[in-house]
Amino acid sequence: MRNVRDTMVGAALVFAAYYLGLLIVTAASLSIPGPLLGLFILLGALFCFPRLEPHVARAVTFPLKHMSLLFIPAVLGVTVYWGDIKTNALAIVIAIVVATSFSLGITAWLSQRLFNAKESGDVANVKNNGDTDD
Amino acid sequence: MIEALYNTLSYRGLFWLSVSIISYMTALWANKTCRGHPAAHPILITALLVSIGLYCSNTHVSDYQRAASLLHWLLGPVTVALALPIYRQWQKLRHYGWRLLVSIIFGGVLAPVSAWLTLFIFDTPSAIQFTMLAKSITTPLAMESSAQIGGIPALAAVFVIVTGIVGAVMASSMFALFNVRDRQAQGIALGTVAHAIGTAKAIQMGDDVAAMATLGLCVNGIFTALALPVVVGLFI
Repeated sequence: MRNVRDTMVGAALVFAAYYLGLLIVTAASLSIPGPLLGLFILLGALFCFPRLEPHVARAVTFPLKHMSLLFIPAVLGVTVYWGDIKTNALAIVIAIVVATSFSLGITAWLSQRLFNAKESGDVANVKNNGDTDD
Repeated sequence: MIEALYNTLSYRGLFWLSVSIISYMTALWANKTCRGHPAAHPILITALLVSIGLYCSNTHVSDYQRAASLLHWLLGPVTVALALPIYRQWQKLRHYGWRLLVSIIFGGVLAPVSAWLTLFIFDTPSAIQFTMLAKSITTPLAMESSAQIGGIPALAAVFVIVTGIVGAVMASSMFALFNVRDRQAQGIALGTVAHAIGTAKAIQMGDDVAAMATLGLCVNGIFTALALPVVVGLFI
């Protein structure tokens, strides 16, 4: 019974943040997505009231895990643009496959260098790195 | 929301919603059978099964989208829910500070710009070029921002998912090529460049990698969604 109530409270918070975000973005005609502002509002709420975390967690863990299902209507919409994709297939494939692969490698390389600099930098923390902050 | 509920509470709505959910459950099972290989991503299998259903029942995609609009509508609240993983990884973010942010922003700029440059060289239509700029961020944010900069949300969803799959499949060989052994760095790159699908791959690699990937996913998604309308606005 408690679980059900926790889930309801968490879900109500998420929806409240969502609608508040939409409302502000529409009212102030901001050029950011409404849900993104909602995300900031919820994040702010979590920082101000850490006690809310288990409630939110109970409500959102399942939908976050199965977010994939929610993309299906949008993904199927792509059939409408099939012609455009076919005419530009080569460019799109290169853009996605080659650019993504190298971006992935280069980004990992850069962050490895930055993190290594950090780890050799603060000697006091060397022992603790990696396992204390999980 | 009222309209989405209204569409769902009809015979067609309930029918296509059930078809989607059953297809998704089948896809989860198939993905498990393939031991979570990125190419067997549940989205691809679900989309395939649902489109077979549409083909057999001679239903147009736009009719299906109307019937299943509840699913699409839920993307908004789920985006808001991404606040939870950010909150949980906050300590990590503070520990690595600017180094983490620089890595994420670097990856978040490099991936879309290199892809956009390719399309620019090949002289593809500008709507596709704009759509490509949102390819490395998580799908709900990508769809919102591509709509705002004059791209095509449906195309954005597909670019994003294919990008994620490519990233997850290529990850091991790319890390070997660039000699990246730091697990935290691998996680950051996976989350930043290959968003949720990269994060799913990171989860298989271990909890520490997954935590960094989640941060990359969320922070890059936020930065890109904030920056894209502004940057594109400057150039048009």
